[in-house]
Formats: sequence, C-alpha cells, structure tokens
Amino acid sequence: MIRVEGLHKHFGSLHVLRGINLRVAPQEVVVIIGPSGCGKSTLLRCLNLLERPTSGRIFIDGEEITAPGVDENRVRRKVGMVFQQFNLFPHLNALDNVALAVRLVQRRPRAEAEAWARSLLEKVGLGAKAGEYPSRLSGGQQQRVAIARALAMRPQVMLFDEPTSALDPEMIKEVLDVMKDLAREGMTMVVVTHEMGFAREVADRVLFMDQGTIIEEAPPQEFFINPRHERSRAFLSKILS
Amino acid sequence: MSGWWDWSYVAQFFPYFLAGVPITVLLAVAALVLGSVLGLALALMEMSGRRWLQAPARIYIEAFRGTPLMVQILFIAFAIPFALGYTPNRFVHGIAALALNSAAYISQIFRAGIESVDHGQVEAARSLGMTHAMTMRAVVLPQAARVVVPPLTNELITLLKDSSLVFAIGIPELTTRGRLMASRTFRPVEAYALLGVMYLVLTIPLSYLARRLERRLSRGVRRPA
Ligand SMILES: Nc1ncnc2c1ncn2[C@@H]1O[C@H](COP(=O)(O)OP(=O)(O)OP(=O)(O)O)[C@@H](O)[C@H]1O
Ligand SMILES: [Mg+2]
Repeated sequence: MIRVEGLHKHFGSLHVLRGINLRVAPQEVVVIIGPSGCGKSTLLRCLNLLERPTSGRIFIDGEEITAPGVDENRVRRKVGMVFQQFNLFPHLNALDNVALAVRLVQRRPRAEAEAWARSLLEKVGLGAKAGEYPSRLSGGQQQRVAIARALAMRPQVMLFDEPTSALDPEMIKEVLDVMKDLAREGMTMVVVTHEMGFAREVADRVLFMDQGTIIEEAPPQEFFINPRHERSRAFLSKILS
Repeated sequence: MSGWWDWSYVAQFFPYFLAGVPITVLLAVAALVLGSVLGLALALMEMSGRRWLQAPARIYIEAFRGTPLMVQILFIAFAIPFALGYTPNRFVHGIAALALNSAAYISQIFRAGIESVDHGQVEAARSLGMTHAMTMRAVVLPQAARVVVPPLTNELITLLKDSSLVFAIGIPELTTRGRLMASRTFRPVEAYALLGVMYLVLTIPLSYLARRLERRLSRGVRRPA
C-alpha cells in the first residue's frame, strides 16, 4: 500500500530524513516511535506531500506520488491525516467540519455530504454533537471529529501524528478506542505515538526512528521484550519508566 | 456689535454644508468598497508565494503608501487625463484616487487577518485534498473576515477625513463647501468650526462602533479553544 525508497528531506542545511526505506502492506498498522526531533512528523508529512521530499520515491497504492506532475490534491484524498492539535475549523460546527471537503473536493450535494458526515460522527460516537462548534467540544471529542473528517474522504491510508499527545489523560482512551476500531475494520494506518499500550495491542509492526533513519523494526512483542538496538533500548527504558 | 462668533452664520451655513454630507459619505463608502476589492486582491497576490504576483503587489503598496495622498489625487485627476487626452469626470477620479490609495492600506489589513488564522487549519484543509483557492475561500477568509471588521471601520473613518482633500479637484463635498462659505462671507471661524463638528458627527459613532467590535472580538479569542 505504501512503499518508500531512499527518502531524504533537508530543511536548508538541516538533514532531517536520511534515507528512509519502508513498506506498509494493505490493512497493516505500523507504529513509529522515536525521540523528539528525529523526523517522525516530517516522514508522515512527506507521505501526503505536505512536505516535498528532497530525494527518494514514495508509492501509494502502486502510484508514484513523488513523480513530476502528480496532482498533490488527488494524492491527499487517498491519504487521511490526523494532527496532534486536531486543527478543526473553528467557524464550522462538527457536521460541517466533516462535510466541507466532501462537498468541495468530491462535489457531493450538501444533503448527501451531510448524511455521510452524520454517519461518520455516529461511528466515532459523536452523533449527538453534530451541531456543536469545536470550542464547545472537549479535546477528545475534537480529535474524534478530526478523525471523522479525515475518514470522510474515504482514504486508503490514515496517518496519525501523535493524536493523543495534546489530550488530558482521561480523554486518551476514547480516541484510542476509535483508532482500534479502525484498525480492526482493516484500515491501513501509520501512527506516530508514545502510547505503548496501543502499539502492543494494535500494531503489526513497530518502527524505531532516530536521527532521520529507521534503526529498528519488529513486531511489538519482539520489540518491547527484546529490542536489539542499543538506542531503542535506551529510549524504551526512558519512556516505560 | 460684530465679534468673531455669530450664531446666525452657523445657521446660515448648516443647510448648505448638510447637502455636502451625502457626497462626502458616498466618496468614502465607494472608496472603501472598491479599495477592499483591490486590497484583497493585493493581499492574496502578496501572500501567493509567486514572485511574479508578489513583486507588482509590493511595488503598488510601496508607491501608494510612500507618496502623499494629495499628490496622488492631483496625479490621477489631472496628469492621467492630460496624458491620455480626455476630459476627466472629477467625481469618478476623486473616488478612484481615494480607492487606489486605501487599497494599499486595506491590503495590509487583509494580510494581517489572513495571517491571524492558524496555519494548522490550512494544513488540515490541504490534507483533505482541498486546493489553495478552496482553502482560502472556505476556511481562511471566513475567519479573517471577523478580524478585519474593526480595522476596516477605522479605515472608513480615515477615508471620511481624507476625502476632504478632493476639494483640490473641486468636488462639492463638505470641505469644498466650507472653504467656499468661509471666503464668500469672510466668516472663517464659524465656517471651519461647523465643518469640523460635522466631520466629528460622522466619525465619532464609527470609532465607538470600531472599539466595541474590537472588544467583542478579543473576548471571542479568549474563550477556551
Ligand atoms: N518546516 C520546517 N523547517 C525547518 N525545520 C523543520 C521544519 N519542520 C521540522 N523541522 C526540523 O526537523 C527536525 C525533525 O522534526 P520533526 O517534527 O519531524 O520531528 P519529530 O520526530 O516529529 O519530533 P516530535 O516528537 O517533537 O514531534 C526537527 O529538528 C525540526 O526542528
Ligand atoms: Mg512530531
């Protein structure tokens, strides 16, 4: 579903991604962990072209999205993204947040877009909050609306960039539960998170990144019990303590 | 006894000045509307990230902010018609000069409004496959619109005052009438005092409104996100 070959990203003189190779199979859930600043967000943002790779190739569903002349807006419809800060549109209620791109990008009539948006809000447990504005929703509710908004485009892949890091502890579970449901339904997911419980339970594979490269990848049982690399061990002991 | 103040002149001038109020208001409002359209275009050009759009917008803004409005009025009302060989409609040229001038300032108001919208929302919209234009129209501008209302109200106040400069091209708005009466009757004190009061009657309610809108807006910002 996703194939990344020799991906490099520079920000000016800063060399952030240093040769990433990665394959994600359909319906696979991959969790990426690693210390702050190692390039996790940048990698995700390259996967939907919010950042332009400096070199290397990325394929989504067999299509090279890094080829010259590819319509980035069409690529992004196939790749949903959920942000740490939710990034809901504050001037629109929950329903319109979800329905907006369905109307504008997919050109569906308003009634159809709203019916679809309503069904997604119900899926994330917020059917009753369709008319609320983001400022009246809790962080966990806002993030669930953001997930529904990304799902509304019927993406083939979902990217999550620390979706629970900005949440109070008591709201983390409701968001993780929605993500678990998605994984169970067979969504292909790439998740940057420090929720090790989620990684253990849901991930097919855990990638450990450091300084712009993937230095270890393994199924979660293996990775958490017996990390091979010195740096993964150090990182794990730090966040699990 | 004839001192330097005589109320009867005030009463005599008032209806004549009053007839100039609609002209002053029309000049200012028309300039604000046209200047907003052009100012928005300039702001979008300036923020487009494309040099061939940015450069002309920046030159325009520098040119109109760096020269006196009076010079712009004279240039537009006299130099351009002279060069192109046509007889100017003074009113049209007066509005054009005010609108072209205020567009340079209004572009900066719109720019600040657009920049006030959190960039994360732009990224969220783009990640959904929305184009730059869709994102501007459906996400950024509706939020920027709230922020720009108070400064645009202040811009209207500025235009009401600056429109007095078109006396130089003989449009019969308030100031032209004030000057005419002052010189015809030799009563400059009553004429210019009344003139000032009439501008204040126009501008004070607007600045009160702008302050209220600003306060309401900052309340909205402080509401928990
Ligand atoms: N737009 C940008 N311009 C310049 N530097 C950037 C930009 N985005 C990221 N960086 C830098 O690239 C490096 C990697 O950033 P990135 O956000 O990908 O890290 P991360 O692994 O997601 O970290 P965190 O866990 O803190 O979110 C950092 O040093 C960051 O400062
Ligand atoms: Mg990050």
